[in-house]
Amino acid sequence: MTKLIMTFPVTETSHTLASYRSRGGYATLERVVREMRPEDVTREVTAAGVQGRGGAAFPAGRKWSVIKLNDGQPHYLCANADEGEPGTFKDRWILENAPHLLLESMLIAAYALQVRHAFVYMRGEFDLPYRRLASAIDEATAAGLMGERILGSAFDCDVLIYRGAGSYVCGEASALLTSIEGKRGYPRNRPPRLTVRGLYQRPTVVNNVETLSNITGIVRDGAAAFRAVGTADSPGTRLVSVSGHVNRPGVHEIDLGYAFERLLDDCGGVLDGRALKAVIPGGISSKVLTGDEIMPLALDHESLAAAGSSLGSGGMIVIAEGTCMVRLLQVMLRFYHHESCGQCTPCREGMGWLHRIIDRIVAGEGRPEDIDRLYRISAANDGTTICGLGDAAGYATSGILNKFRPEFEYWIEHKRSRFDGNLVCRASS
Amino acid sequence: MPRIVVDGRAIDAAGGQSVIEAARAHGIDIPHFCWHPSLSVAGSCRVCVVEVEGRGLDIACNLPATEGMQVFTDSPAVRERRREMLELTLLNHPVDCGICDKAGECTLQDYHYAHNGAASASGERKVRATKFHALSDRIVLDNERCILCSRCVRFTHEVSKSHGLGILHRGDGSLLRETGDGAFARDPYSDNVLDVCPVGALLSRSSLYRARVWYLQPTRSVCPGCARGCPVDLWHRKPEWRLNALDPAKNRAIVRVTPRDDGRPEGPWICNKGRDLAALFERPRAMQAMLHGRAVPLDVAIDAAADLIDSSKTRIALVSSWASNEELAAFKDALGERFTTFVKEDHRPLPGETIEDDFLIRADKNPNATAAAALFPVRGKPMSAAPSGQPPDLVLAWGEGFDARGLPDGARAIVLDAYGHADHARADVFIPLSIQTERAGHYTNFQGVVRAFDACFDKPASVADAQELFAALAVGARVPA
Repeated sequence: MTKLIMTFPVTETSHTLASYRSRGGYATLERVVREMRPEDVTREVTAAGVQGRGGAAFPAGRKWSVIKLNDGQPHYLCANADEGEPGTFKDRWILENAPHLLLESMLIAAYALQVRHAFVYMRGEFDLPYRRLASAIDEATAAGLMGERILGSAFDCDVLIYRGAGSYVCGEASALLTSIEGKRGYPRNRPPRLTVRGLYQRPTVVNNVETLSNITGIVRDGAAAFRAVGTADSPGTRLVSVSGHVNRPGVHEIDLGYAFERLLDDCGGVLDGRALKAVIPGGISSKVLTGDEIMPLALDHESLAAAGSSLGSGGMIVIAEGTCMVRLLQVMLRFYHHESCGQCTPCREGMGWLHRIIDRIVAGEGRPEDIDRLYRISAANDGTTICGLGDAAGYATSGILNKFRPEFEYWIEHKRSRFDGNLVCRASS
Repeated sequence: MPRIVVDGRAIDAAGGQSVIEAARAHGIDIPHFCWHPSLSVAGSCRVCVVEVEGRGLDIACNLPATEGMQVFTDSPAVRERRREMLELTLLNHPVDCGICDKAGECTLQDYHYAHNGAASASGERKVRATKFHALSDRIVLDNERCILCSRCVRFTHEVSKSHGLGILHRGDGSLLRETGDGAFARDPYSDNVLDVCPVGALLSRSSLYRARVWYLQPTRSVCPGCARGCPVDLWHRKPEWRLNALDPAKNRAIVRVTPRDDGRPEGPWICNKGRDLAALFERPRAMQAMLHGRAVPLDVAIDAAADLIDSSKTRIALVSSWASNEELAAFKDALGERFTTFVKEDHRPLPGETIEDDFLIRADKNPNATAAAALFPVRGKPMSAAPSGQPPDLVLAWGEGFDARGLPDGARAIVLDAYGHADHARADVFIPLSIQTERAGHYTNFQGVVRAFDACFDKPASVADAQELFAALAVGARVPA
């Protein structure tokens, strides 16, 4: 397997500048500012075809290409480190263990996009990642790798950290920018696109931490080398954070196209040796797949799309046989209800409605028509909201209902779970 | 200028217009809550959904009109989506129309009947929220009725710029609230949020529960509060709903004042002083004509005034800057040649009142000083002497603010005023006048814009209409006594 990001053994000092430099760090930045033109960098990134690693898988090069160089206005770059999608903890690995890889990549991106000030919008709950990145910024600034006249060139750039305050919606790119502006973190309507009017009404690129972290390697080794990894339509690797009922949860870097079955083996298989019931492959906003559906799949964007789901944010939640899907949906809907920002009507009202219905079902007061109601509210949120939260909740709901409807009918009829009603996998006695 | 087709009708959209703006400019109303022509786009209510050929459903308020766009505002898909959005909007709404002041002019009520009409499909408990929260001493808020369209918030951010309102919390627990610094209570334009609110969430404390809107009618008027002369509607009881028992005084009450949108560039806003016109008009009236403080019938006082004018030699007149263009012209026609005239400042800023700002409020607190000054160019200092050098032997004081101490020695005084004042008893002749709500006319504002106002009520028989009075005084003067 290829490693593009997790290329080194993690030690107590592997996150420092000295260690990063010993692995060849910042040599690419030096070559970029000395020898390359901004458009050369963007061309390389576009040719590499690296897709967004935050969930939507939008090609980064296409996003960058919208930015017009030398148009007489400031541009902004923002790394989305608000990793809040349940089940996802891969960016955290980069921030804690490879902060200089992110910084070098951001500086290269800033050079390509003519950005003077780049931001990292970091999830408020992140403590060690914040301290690691902040000290990396101090190290890089002291070493002349950041700030004015970087490495003696005419290129100036600073990276600033902005810490969120615990809102899930602020991980949505436009809400994230609004939050940086100091306003209430409401997502914005499109048009205009953020690459036209983003932060402070200026052209802005928002990329996921993992997406950006690939930039250094792409520029160093060339687009062809990047494309040699993964599949034709999904080049490169993905960091996948595996959680749930597996023996060894954690972050794994896989080549795109890696077989799910092998990844499950890498994680030590399902807890207690149970059968695989289902997998949520890319954070809870991606549609659930049954064990039978996902077992033969290769983990790349096109295979999962064909199976009706997505690789999303790489937050893979493994669910063992015997887990109650009604309770799982209840937990998910409580999350979406809690995190709906309340700006637009369908999500503000719909999330609470979904949550109250599932709570009522679990309380044993469900009615047969509730299942259709859950479907209808999900549909009323499909494509009707300003951001994707409402859609995501709808996908999650209809995804679970489509595949595990009998469990819901059982609970409504018998007023109890068909299983033990727990999400925790307990050793079978 | 892109040409778009809305429901089969080709219309030309101005450059940069959204679909909802272009349609509205051509008389096609696309239902909406959060969009407001004078505010920025929020795109949050999702009710203004339209279908665009080849692109599916989208919200019209944030959809730029582009050449050749085929828009459908009432296709089956649009109707279904709009119905869903209304169902969700009403999900946690208390539907207490029976006790809501907004009922009858509520956008949510109208749209529900027009576009949904069904009972709620939800059997869940509604989200409870604060009722009767005092946003300021002028406005109460019902958070349960609030649909979080954010129009009021945007008004304080974009128009009045007090930034006095915001939204707290999130999801269906979101709450509209005033900011902690009291900016909303100090905002001299705060009451405009009552009009931008599409539902009954924001309520005026001065008109709360005073009348159902369907008993009221608006009369076109002009705010006399300052030289801006904002166009307003005065809302009062419809004649067909006249009360003959209980409290007939309600028949002559101004229940509320709203801005009248005549397309002026300042936008459809008025200041809070304009909202309080009822209090201004309902100050204690002068209803009785007097000679030296002795009550006499109106016609006796008019005859006495005519005699005084006839028998005096050096006459000065203080002309009211609250008089209409018609009244000023009538005075000039009838008596202008016989008087040396000065324009009087009837009202000065009150303590605590906003003197002037860079939006609407003007320092001159009189509605028609511009027209008065044009007709009667001010010369010298009133009361001191006529231009001839002779001290005046007759002063005609028209309008409020008569002060008997300012009279020159030996001068007689004719006082015309609509509102009561102790000094009126010291005038030789006092004639009560009608007030603005009892007559029609025009004011010319400081920009030279002429705006009309209509009569809301009949004039009481014991007071004179100034226009008729001047004609009578002139006729009386021509007849030798």
